[in-house]
Amino acid sequence: MPKFPTEEWASEYVEKLNSNPAYKDAGKNWEGDITFVIKSDDSFDKDAFLYLDLHHGECRGSKFTVDSSEIPQSEFKYIGKYTNWIRLINKEIDPIQGILTGKFKLEGSMMKIMKFTKAAKEMVSTASTVNTE
Amino acid sequence: MWFFRSPEIVFGEDALSFLNGLDFRKIVIITDENIKKSGLASMVQRSLPEGSSSLVVSDIPEEPTLADIKKRLNAVSEFAPDLIIGLGGGSSMDAAKAIFAIYERPDLDIYDITPLVKLNLRSKAKLILVPTTSGTGSECTWAAVLSDEDHSRKNELASTEIIADFAILDPALVLRLPPGITRNTAVDAITHAVEARSSQWRNYYSDIFAEKAMELITQNLPIVIKDPENIRAREEVHIGASMAGIAFSNSQVGLAHAMGHSLGAHFRIPHGITVALYLPQVVEFSEPDARESYLSLMNKMPEKFRKGNLADSLRAFFSEIGQPLNVKDCGIDRKEYSGRLESLVALAEESTGCVTNPREASSSELRELFENVM
Ligand SMILES: [Fe+2]
Repeated sequence: MPKFPTEEWASEYVEKLNSNPAYKDAGKNWEGDITFVIKSDDSFDKDAFLYLDLHHGECRGSKFTVDSSEIPQSEFKYIGKYTNWIRLINKEIDPIQGILTGKFKLEGSMMKIMKFTKAAKEMVSTASTVNTE
Repeated sequence: MWFFRSPEIVFGEDALSFLNGLDFRKIVIITDENIKKSGLASMVQRSLPEGSSSLVVSDIPEEPTLADIKKRLNAVSEFAPDLIIGLGGGSSMDAAKAIFAIYERPDLDIYDITPLVKLNLRSKAKLILVPTTSGTGSECTWAAVLSDEDHSRKNELASTEIIADFAILDPALVLRLPPGITRNTAVDAITHAVEARSSQWRNYYSDIFAEKAMELITQNLPIVIKDPENIRAREEVHIGASMAGIAFSNSQVGLAHAMGHSLGAHFRIPHGITVALYLPQVVEFSEPDARESYLSLMNKMPEKFRKGNLADSLRAFFSEIGQPLNVKDCGIDRKEYSGRLESLVALAEESTGCVTNPREASSSELRELFENVM
């Protein structure tokens, strides 16, 4: 069972995202890359980054690293502390409510992403299906 | 973690006189032509603090666009008000919210009005909203809807800083509301109550407001329709509509609004008609994931309309008050409607109502819901 966040977790996540028909459908008009930024906190000691290149309902490229200089510039960043990421994956935090309560920060056009909340939600639901240790 | 937000509310007969005791000197009233003609704008002017001066901007169109807002901004800025009053239905109140924000922060891009940006409003003025319809609930919400220039899309500006300082609910302002508008706006409020009570973001506070709203509106609307000048019944529908506004502002609307907004962008028909058209379908579809919510709402309706489930109860209620339940009765050509199905679905899918609805719909399920009212 992969640990979150690791290279293994990331590759299982991308595989599941690409085989999730609900994501394919909801993200069919989406173009843009996004980086998940997992900030260190008491339970996790270094920042981690998962870059996803998302295009028309498909993740056509990804990169996991703990070195921010290795991450390509992306249109969006979704940033939160490790503990909040775990709560998000366990569906204890809604991804949009997470932004509105300050538990997550979004960098990039809120206007654009608000038109794709269905896709965003499917991305989180997919994360919940990865067998996370 | 979540919040409960509401303006301070002044309600009941003579609530308008509250304005008189406030300490403002220069007041702008944002409203539309009909409200001005009906004498309601001067009624508000007569209630303003003694010695204050006022400017009435009375040409807000239905479904205002950003250009409509900008066009009126100069006059407002030149007048330099310390209070802005939005008087009217959703269009005037939303225009007042937008004008208020840009008057305060002329440097702001209107699309920066999102929950993520700290706006620091209220350095120049305060905002009071006074509804003259009982439906949109905009006087209690933290959003304002502006249409694209070609009306093909609606953009929601949202910030807790555009919540009114006061909402004033005076039944005298809705006493002469024409029957058609009374009905179309009240069913919008019913839809707010139903969607707020069953939303995935529902919470203790929004539940209570949604249930009381459902009770006040469904118990009193049939009375108002038969006896339009019954001020007691008018007042209860008016308060119910604002409570439904508080409910959905704190928990979001759902699929009926996602679909209704899409229909409204394709065929320009009143918002209340569009959402009420889909509500029974959406309720039927969402039932497996919202049983408890729907049951408690149904039990707030007058007994004669309760038909075992909420969808059928709403159909019975809408039929009684003459609310259309299919596209033809909304005045839409069926052929034209079916020709636009794909685009109706696509636009609805961009709405957050799709993810807050108790049961999420796939594209094909959404299409079916659109088809079911043909
Ligand atoms: Fe509405």
